[in-house]
Amino acid sequence: MLQPTSFPTSLGDRDKPDCTTEDILQDEENPFNFSPQLINLHKDHELFEDGDVERHMYLQDLYISEADDDKQTLSVSEFACHISGCNAVHGTLEEYEHHYNSLHRHVCSICRRSLPTARLLDIHIQEWHDSVFMVLAQRQDMYQCLVEGCAHKFRTSTLRKDHLIRIHKYPPDFRFDKAKREKGSGETKQQQDIAMEVVGNASEVLCEEQAKQVDQEESMEMPVSLTGTHLTEKDTPHEEMAACQNTNDEHLKPRYSYRVPSNVCFGHGSIRGFRGHRGRRK
Amino acid sequence: MWRLSRVGYKAGRAGYILEEFRVKRQEHEKTLRQARRDRQLVSKRLLVNEDEDQQVHIMHTCSDKNDVISLFHKLQHSGPEREAHLKTLSKSLRDLSAQLLFIKQENSIHMLVGFLTGPNTQCRLQSVRCLHELSHSPHPSVGPACLPATPYLLTYLSGQSTKFTELCLYTLGNLCPDSDVVREKLLAQGIIPALASCIEKQKHNTAVVEAIGYTLSQLLQTKDASEKIIPLVLASSLPSHLIACLTPDQNFSLGPAIECAWCLHYLTSTKNVFCCDLLRSGEDNHALLACGALLRCSTLLASLGGAVAQGNKEEGIELLVCPLLRLTSRLGPLWPERVPGSSIISQILRVLANVAHKKKEFCLQLADHGLLSSLSATLKMAERETVTLSLDILFMLLTSGSQVVEDFERQGGNSLLETFQYCSEGDVRRKAAYLLERCLLSSSAQCMLCCIAGQLHPFVLTASRIGNATLSTKTAKTQLRKEKYASHFIKRTRITFKCITPTALVRMKRFG
Repeated sequence: MLQPTSFPTSLGDRDKPDCTTEDILQDEENPFNFSPQLINLHKDHELFEDGDVERHMYLQDLYISEADDDKQTLSVSEFACHISGCNAVHGTLEEYEHHYNSLHRHVCSICRRSLPTARLLDIHIQEWHDSVFMVLAQRQDMYQCLVEGCAHKFRTSTLRKDHLIRIHKYPPDFRFDKAKREKGSGETKQQQDIAMEVVGNASEVLCEEQAKQVDQEESMEMPVSLTGTHLTEKDTPHEEMAACQNTNDEHLKPRYSYRVPSNVCFGHGSIRGFRGHRGRRK
Repeated sequence: MWRLSRVGYKAGRAGYILEEFRVKRQEHEKTLRQARRDRQLVSKRLLVNEDEDQQVHIMHTCSDKNDVISLFHKLQHSGPEREAHLKTLSKSLRDLSAQLLFIKQENSIHMLVGFLTGPNTQCRLQSVRCLHELSHSPHPSVGPACLPATPYLLTYLSGQSTKFTELCLYTLGNLCPDSDVVREKLLAQGIIPALASCIEKQKHNTAVVEAIGYTLSQLLQTKDASEKIIPLVLASSLPSHLIACLTPDQNFSLGPAIECAWCLHYLTSTKNVFCCDLLRSGEDNHALLACGALLRCSTLLASLGGAVAQGNKEEGIELLVCPLLRLTSRLGPLWPERVPGSSIISQILRVLANVAHKKKEFCLQLADHGLLSSLSATLKMAERETVTLSLDILFMLLTSGSQVVEDFERQGGNSLLETFQYCSEGDVRRKAAYLLERCLLSSSAQCMLCCIAGQLHPFVLTASRIGNATLSTKTAKTQLRKEKYASHFIKRTRITFKCITPTALVRMKRFG
């Protein structure tokens, strides 16, 4: 927070002049006789009319151009988003910038969900993918209120949702507060789940496979932000990729940061990194 | 010094005949004056694309109303032309009857919210544009219809897409004055922490800062602001960011400064939050803030005054000077008596004179931040009031410290004051002469004495060096050549002795 550090902290006054000043101020020949006048004026005083009117003329007449005048818009031919799995195509750099900043900035590397802000992403990771959180949540209030500036915490996400609706007047179907899904077995159920989720919350970005299926049912476009390989039935799911097929938290491996990119592999099951080597040994 | 960003105020619009424009503007002004008398002065801002047709004032015909409905139906079904449809919709929604028709359609806002949070970012952008057009509506029922979107707009303020954030901000700002219900909801949904968080993250983006300032100013103008809103704002980090925006450095931009100045004005105009009691308390955070705000405003005013005095006719300076004057006076807290017909420079100088008169430390700070060079410019102006006020302020500055005197002399202040010897105005002549004789020559005479004494006796030279020796011997000799200075030197010997350090004095006395 900015504080005006360069300004005097002790507020002295004019009672300590140096020797010359004292002389001058007491000099009868001194022609300087400025003294400030004190007038109390209410904010609606007519003296302020001109300034107020000028201000509102400015607000109402002003048409702001959105792009800077100095900035030269580079014209480029259409290009696609470089995040593999994302199908978005853009005609201008500004469009791409907006797309990238909106969808690819705050992405959970486990479940590929795109959240709109860093804070919501942190809350998501904590509540969906952190087993320590789950343990603590059984004993104390861990679910934070989503409104910035509100320090309340709750025992369950339902209580939090209730708080959001009653106190913060949020809608009951707030799209950035999805409850953690219970375990889903089998693809059909997951498809249904995901289909429902798409209807309710199209802001979350999911895997390509499901997205393609969903696309046929739903008219909304579903860009993807899946990096690296996308799963087939044969691959053993990695920890990071696990949630793609299974949007719940059954396979929690909390001992590393969930923001690590998914093409870095740790631990067992990391076939990808050694595939060539094993093949050669045989 | 600083770049003024282009402000499109008063720019003639394409397609308008100048006379027609002037007449329309006069009518507009009259309406606003009446609105102010009725305490109904409220405005909204519309952000338009630079590639759009400038003639947005043209009334839409009836066919557009049907367009809205057909567009709405098209959007409800799937299709890749969704982006284009939304864009057309946003343009159609500029018309009031189209707006009213749209909000009456079932699920229309719900659909927009769906696009606002959807995966297609161009659709997000176009849907926020639609909401922006709706928020700008003069009809009282249209704005509140946008309420379902507000939690999302507030969430996006902490996002990373600056253009999008700007639109969200202006939309929220337009919604603020609409009704108590809207404001209650926005406050409950955390608009103030969201704005604080946004300005912390985006303080280097001038367009976003301007948008934040605008939104905050809309919130602060409401009639119940003093009880509900102002305490929350003061408790947040917003005031310090607003004050920081008023620094006249290289990155200074007029648009954001105007908004921030108005915000600070509204913050201080309802209650005496920054009143002199707080200023005296010293320990209080508000006091520090007030002190910082006062100095920041004064130095900015000084810069602006200097710029105007040097002939800078940039559009929009008055828009910034007006709130700064009010703010500085209120922080002072002395409102200068307004002399009818006084120019903007005189008003600025009057306020600065109040500030300088208040505390000596303010004089030193103002001098540090370039007030002297501004005064050098204002002293050359033709208007009598300006010159008199400049001399008054100069007197206060020069009597606040010897460093200021040195700086002024280094900038050629002596020769500037000498030009007033032949001024027709007696008052001005007397003041300039007094400054020359008492404030400036006293220091040069003092140094002359040291140098002369130094030539007479080596021990005294040492003493004089301990005392002070800011002018070189050469300068002192040049001064000596002028007869009138010599007589002053003799007359003021007693005073100059007093200014030398006690040690030096003792030594000099010993050696006569």
